[in-house]
Amino acid sequence: MATSIIMPRQGQSVESCIITKLYISEGEKVSKGDLIFSYETDKASFEEESEIDGVLLKWLYDEGDEVPVLETVCIVGEEGEEVKEMIVASDNKEVEPKPEAVESKKSALKAEIVNSIPEGTRISPRARRMAEDNRIEITKIAGTGPSGRIIVRDVEVVLTGGDDRHTEASYSVEPLTNIRKIIARSMYSSLQNSAQVTHHLGADARRMLSLRKEIKEKKDQPGYVNVTINDMVCFAVIKALQKFPRVNSHLVGEEMHLFNIVNLGLAVDTDRGLMVPAITEVDKLSIQQFSEKAGKISGECRKGSVDPDILAPESASFTVSNLGNYGVEMFTPVINLPQVAILGVNTILLRPADTGDGVIGFVPYIGLSITYDHRAIDGGEATRFLKQVAIEIETLEI
Amino acid sequence: MPKCQFLDPVELRKAGKLEFKPIPVNQYSKTIKEEKENYSKDDFLRIYYDMLVIREFETMLNLIKTTGKYSDIEYNHPGPAHLSIGQEAAAVGMAYNLDVDDFIFGSHRSHGEILAKGLSAIHKLDDNSLKKIMEEYFGGDIETIVADGFNGSVKEMARRFLVYGTLAEIFARSTGFNRGLGGSMHAFFTPFGVYPNNAIVGGSGDISVGAALFKKVNRKPGIVVANIGDASMACGPVWEGISFATMDQFTELWEGDMKGGLPLIINIMNNHYGMGGQTNGETMGYGIAARIGAGVNKDQMHAERIDGMNPLAVIDAYKRKKQVISEKRGPVLLDVMTYRYSGHSPSDASSYRSREEMEAWEKHDCIKIYRTNLIEGGMSTEKEMDAIEEKTKGLISEMFSLAINDEISPRMDLIKTPGIIGEMMFSDRSVDAMEPGEPEVLMTLEDNPRFQQIARKERFAFDKDGKPYSKMKQYQLRDGIFEAIIDRFYKDPTLIAYGEENRDWGGAFAVYRGLTEALPYNRLFNSPISEGAIVGTAIGYAMCGGRVIPEIMYCDFLGRSGDEVFNQLPKWQAMSGNMIKMPVVLRVSVGSKYGAQHSQDWTSLVAHIPGLKVVFPATPYDAKGLMNSALQGTDPVVYFESQRIYDIGEQFHKEGVPEEYYEIPLGEPDIKRYGDDITILSIGAALYIAIEAADILKKKYSISTEIIDARSLVPFNYDIVLESVKKTGRILLVSDASARGSFLNDMARNITELAFDYLDAPPVVVGSRNWITPAYELEDDFFPQPGWIVDAIHTRMLPLDDHVVEVDFTEEEQLKRSREGI
Repeated sequence: MATSIIMPRQGQSVESCIITKLYISEGEKVSKGDLIFSYETDKASFEEESEIDGVLLKWLYDEGDEVPVLETVCIVGEEGEEVKEMIVASDNKEVEPKPEAVESKKSALKAEIVNSIPEGTRISPRARRMAEDNRIEITKIAGTGPSGRIIVRDVEVVLTGGDDRHTEASYSVEPLTNIRKIIARSMYSSLQNSAQVTHHLGADARRMLSLRKEIKEKKDQPGYVNVTINDMVCFAVIKALQKFPRVNSHLVGEEMHLFNIVNLGLAVDTDRGLMVPAITEVDKLSIQQFSEKAGKISGECRKGSVDPDILAPESASFTVSNLGNYGVEMFTPVINLPQVAILGVNTILLRPADTGDGVIGFVPYIGLSITYDHRAIDGGEATRFLKQVAIEIETLEI
Repeated sequence: MPKCQFLDPVELRKAGKLEFKPIPVNQYSKTIKEEKENYSKDDFLRIYYDMLVIREFETMLNLIKTTGKYSDIEYNHPGPAHLSIGQEAAAVGMAYNLDVDDFIFGSHRSHGEILAKGLSAIHKLDDNSLKKIMEEYFGGDIETIVADGFNGSVKEMARRFLVYGTLAEIFARSTGFNRGLGGSMHAFFTPFGVYPNNAIVGGSGDISVGAALFKKVNRKPGIVVANIGDASMACGPVWEGISFATMDQFTELWEGDMKGGLPLIINIMNNHYGMGGQTNGETMGYGIAARIGAGVNKDQMHAERIDGMNPLAVIDAYKRKKQVISEKRGPVLLDVMTYRYSGHSPSDASSYRSREEMEAWEKHDCIKIYRTNLIEGGMSTEKEMDAIEEKTKGLISEMFSLAINDEISPRMDLIKTPGIIGEMMFSDRSVDAMEPGEPEVLMTLEDNPRFQQIARKERFAFDKDGKPYSKMKQYQLRDGIFEAIIDRFYKDPTLIAYGEENRDWGGAFAVYRGLTEALPYNRLFNSPISEGAIVGTAIGYAMCGGRVIPEIMYCDFLGRSGDEVFNQLPKWQAMSGNMIKMPVVLRVSVGSKYGAQHSQDWTSLVAHIPGLKVVFPATPYDAKGLMNSALQGTDPVVYFESQRIYDIGEQFHKEGVPEEYYEIPLGEPDIKRYGDDITILSIGAALYIAIEAADILKKKYSISTEIIDARSLVPFNYDIVLESVKKTGRILLVSDASARGSFLNDMARNITELAFDYLDAPPVVVGSRNWITPAYELEDDFFPQPGWIVDAIHTRMLPLDDHVVEVDFTEEEQLKRSREGI
């Protein structure tokens, strides 16, 4: 008997997803574990694996279609099996909603198109209407009006393809993926709407390195957990945050929301782009528990199966972004608003230092870069917090 | 100015002295016995009755205001009630000898005068006329209410009608004499000769002069009485009105039956107080207000002080002064001394006067003394007098019950009929002549030298090769105004025009050249330099049924006629419940070259005031067509002209300005040039700046501009403007008015709201700087220039390739100027 493959609901707030790719054509065989299609929400990308063996009988949607969650996307069954009934059933489902509902869905979609104009973009009402009528993405239009406002002539340039300023076409056009748009919007908005300052400070990494060495040595023992340097830094941050509640907070309007738990955001680099899942209530975890949980969620992000609800910047109370693996020596991370700070973790470098008794030797230092929102926190407090992180790193207990 | 009056330096330099005649003060001294030959018993009792009606009416209002009830019926009247308890003899004495055709104008304290004049008119009208008036007024609405269950005589019914109509008006009932839109301070009833009372102190001081002018010029029977307070003698409009009323030309220059003074009595209801100031001894210097007459003209305005506590003294004065007026020796000034027991209003604690003073005057109470005198003179008995008192109380109390009954006397329902007041703001009639008859002119139109001169002119500015004719040969904007006006002078016998230099000179801007030859003095004359009175008299003239073109020269002088233009001219049509029409076309000329007080475009000020129509033509074709429409209508139109373009020829209407009559409807803008890329909406002479800017845009930047000339500000039909903006997506608005608060901003807001989705840039307003207007040589940095328009377009709407900006239209500059208030 044929089976309907439905669009999964990814998180409570998700009402529909966009199909990004179909991997199997109609009539093609599909085995359990094969990728059938990939899809994305505003916040994340996902892949749907087949849970059964059979033949893909019918696609009900195409790439790029927006599909309400729990709707049938395709039907898998025995070769030659009759699927009409199921399609009708599925069609009926679509007809079912009251006309008003359809109407409101339409207007909701329209609103979304409007919303997709990046914040800060200036565009005249007439140009906006012209772009919408011609389905031109506003992000593709270069504004030449006052203060860079997109005006009608700019839309016309795109429409006629007649932008003689770019006739060489030394580039290919690739529309932004949903997740890219989200990142673009939130990064831009963050820098536009807050007062970000970055401080850099180094922490003696000798203790961490020796702990790491010990852990590696216990690799074959039962109950082994691969606690990484990053886990250790995070653990130090968690401890420091408990001493600095103003850093573990959100700035909302003219209010500070001070958290009494720590939900740590972890920047994860994936093929689809940057994701920052929140690991909740980490202050209640041991370093091993934290390490396991962090490893699992990072993996889900890379696979695209993460719960989108934990990707919202509101879910985390503070974020750590580690570029040390790539040898980055110093950077200025961008805060995920409404959080008030983010810690960038850099590579470990050998620095000359007094090793005791006036003997100068090379000591490994891990670089820490904190960006904080000066609207919420002053430089002194941010520095004291950063110093606390260093102290925690230097005196870490496992 | 007239050449026939030789100012002889030899005569004028001779020594001499000015002598004044004595001004009589309280000279009346007759007893009841002596007056028996002049009054019947009924007459004596009627005077008593009329005073009592006023006393009871005002007492009723006083009780409502101070205790919240009258005859045990509770009522709340939140509106004004300026009472005249104590002044009854002055009111009844004033009205007693007035005919129905005699008009009275009043103040905020005129309930008594309305009732006195109404009762006098009821006495003089026969039953059929009374019935007709009551049946026809508002289709008999008021009559139906007061007739219900009443079986008395027509005159008694008319008295009910009068008291009810006045009271319902005071209580803002739609069954009041003016639909409740006038109220206590403005109530009036023209069929009984009661003309608008005025809540602005001295407001009637010039309006009444215009009414007298109407009677004189149109040979109407009757006189006009301006009942104004003693304190109003300090007000500009009163002085200006008196100056206007006493002009020498009425006796020196006006000819034939027009020779002679105005049929006007300035009747000072002298109750000694203006608000809390005492005019005698504190706030004025005249001591006795009648003194003022001595300073005004040779006749000293026949001024007299009358004892206003004695009705017979006032009646006697009126009898004598009416005689003076019938001999065309008016106007007359009467100082009728009286006293108000009530405060300025019921909220006034009379803290500015002593108890002794009030009690002393109560001993001189006009009603009490008159009653005693009548009884002592054997004309009546206590019993008879008591019966009259009972009768008046019954009348007032019954009409009070009717007037506060929400079912019988409802207020306007602005929810069910939300447009009802809006519909009354304008009368919107189309009337060739306000009255039938042969207009008085001195020659045929064809014989007029100006008419002949215009006939030789080119009615389109360019020849067939597109070359402009010389300025002298072109039919100019001033010719367009002239043609429309002279045409109306030959159509409407009531039309008159005046201003400071209208006759002989022909207007400072030569618009009226040729009119002096065509018209007698009584249709075209020079007025005193009194912009307040120029507009105020026009209001009175129009109110009575005539059409009039007052001219105040420079727009900057609008301030001098502020109350008349802002409070009087726009209000009376609606405040009368649309009974009154206001066919006044006020000519206002926007100057240049003459600096800060002679170069301002104040169109926005008048456009802000509800009740005025406002036009500002910029071409000869529009000037003639709009003036024709303004003169054909029955609404007040402020007609702006620009001194920059009086000599401009017709550049747009290719067929040339028609010789025949045509109208351009008020409120319709006009596309002067078609284009695709940007719209410019201009007001007034800025049209030509817009044209120059459009030429630059075309030549240098290949931008095609559509130019719309607003022509009118109020009303204004946005259709073609929106149509244009939907096409071009951009609009710039330009006029010579200072940018802050300019009417252009109102237009820009409307356009933004109504065409938002079509806009490719915010509408940009280019106006003059928010400075004083500097000297002519610096004007280019003050008034909008073509380059400003191009710069504003480049900076705010559509950056132009390689354009170099000269004037700063950036947002930063806009914000900076706003912060600095300049």
